[in-house]
Amino acid sequence: MTAVRAPLDRAADWELLRGAVKGVAKKYSQDRCAAKATAGGRAVVLAVADGHGSAAHFRSDQGARWAVQEFTACAEVFAHEAVRLGADAANWPGLRAAARLLPRAVGHRWRQRALVHDASSPAHGAGPARRAAARARRDREGPAATWDLAAYGSTLLGAVLTPHMLLCWQLGDGDVVLVDDGGVAHTPLSTGPDMGDETDSLCEPEPWRKTRTHWQPLTGGPPPAVLLSTDGLSKSFADHQGFLDFATGVCERAAGQGVAAVQGQLEDWLARAAKYSGDDTTLVAAFATAAAGTEHGTAVPDAHGTAPATNDDGTTEGTGTA
Amino acid sequence: MASRPVHFIWMLDCSGSMSVNGKIGQLNFAIREAIPEMRQAADANPAASLLVRAISFASGASWHVGEPTPVDSFSWEDVHTYGGTDMGAAFKLAAGALETPPMPQRALPPVLALASDGQPTDDWRAGLRAIDSTPWGKRAVRVAVAIGDDADKSMLKEFLGNPELEPLQAKNPRQLAAAIRWMSTAVVKDASTPKVEDAKPAAPVGPPLTKGGDEDEIW
Repeated sequence: MTAVRAPLDRAADWELLRGAVKGVAKKYSQDRCAAKATAGGRAVVLAVADGHGSAAHFRSDQGARWAVQEFTACAEVFAHEAVRLGADAANWPGLRAAARLLPRAVGHRWRQRALVHDASSPAHGAGPARRAAARARRDREGPAATWDLAAYGSTLLGAVLTPHMLLCWQLGDGDVVLVDDGGVAHTPLSTGPDMGDETDSLCEPEPWRKTRTHWQPLTGGPPPAVLLSTDGLSKSFADHQGFLDFATGVCERAAGQGVAAVQGQLEDWLARAAKYSGDDTTLVAAFATAAAGTEHGTAVPDAHGTAPATNDDGTTEGTGTA
Repeated sequence: MASRPVHFIWMLDCSGSMSVNGKIGQLNFAIREAIPEMRQAADANPAASLLVRAISFASGASWHVGEPTPVDSFSWEDVHTYGGTDMGAAFKLAAGALETPPMPQRALPPVLALASDGQPTDDWRAGLRAIDSTPWGKRAVRVAVAIGDDADKSMLKEFLGNPELEPLQAKNPRQLAAAIRWMSTAVVKDASTPKVEDAKPAAPVGPPLTKGGDEDEIW
């Protein structure tokens, strides 16, 4: 098992955590992740992607890498704008609209990279059989289906956190966990237990249609800790509550011992989890420092939105007042 | 933390024709012989917990081993022949086990391993629909072995539910042993490896190469 250890990233308002381990008996990991401060340290961008990894998806490590890179590029632009607009709630509807469009931009950029790569090095060969299969797919499913990008398939989870706003996106399995200052953990984008290992993927046509979005204005109390992990972590627990307890425990230790201490132990925890799930296991997290919390204290104390409502399009939104 | 369970269900034809030429005895022998290899396959992936049980069907169907049993403590009691080929009854029995509950949601796809030498004598399609309508049934890894030339291979192919897959063919004890061994090891190994199949039912790796041309075909 190979552990990936990243140096602790310290931003002005946030402390970041990042760890990844390879699954037992796997040649290499198909997970990729990013946790970085942006907008002068006023915001963070988190992302994890889980390449599908089975034989049919033999380039999914690249797919996962592009997923993280393209999400991060788009999310940084979004984060700068969110920080610029700050606490002025009048601007939030525009930001929400931009948040809903972000998965489409990421999907297009990911697809472009996969198409370019596949054009120069066809995953399934470039002979007559493949051309015939592509023609058949086009006739059956339209122009968008001409190319088969399954080899690059990956999930994608991402988040942008500013002192005033939290945005999360999720395509496919994995978990976005929010832990409030009372230690209560919840998964706003959870759709219930996954059965088996089926998941939505960036390699499907129009993957943004299956991307779930959570928007939560932070109008009271400190920002929640945000943890993103690939499904290798949650599937190592006997039940969902055990996974939530783990997330709460990470936050408690980060608060009590410091994020640096948790970073030092994280690889061991993930490696233990990977023994049970058998899968690559990756976690990134952001914790607000006192600086972020202090600014937050100026906001409306009792309007903190924690209970997301589900929209028809599968997005969820916090109930905080804008 | 806990490993994810893989439920393996044998569905074994115990119709009267299985007593001809010692087929039922060879089936019992092949399964008994395969169990140690099944344990090895399970040991190779500690992230999965292999739980085994078995259904026998003939005139009706019943659980031969009803309790999902960890492969380490699984032992084989011989099945015996007792009548027709009520495969649909076996499917319905399996379907009941593939509902959630009793099947946990946190699991790897189950394995349904079917062995038959004949033609179903009941409404097997109704049974197959029952399996397909369960959350885990449609996700199950399915494998089938046709014992002898009289087995309804088109029906077994329909059970597999994947046009790219063919049922295994066992025309003699040696081929049956190879097929059972493959069902018990390669398929278990495949099913217990976490992976993604993009919302398609899990499909096992390719079937084994069973020698046959130079052997007497006694079934």
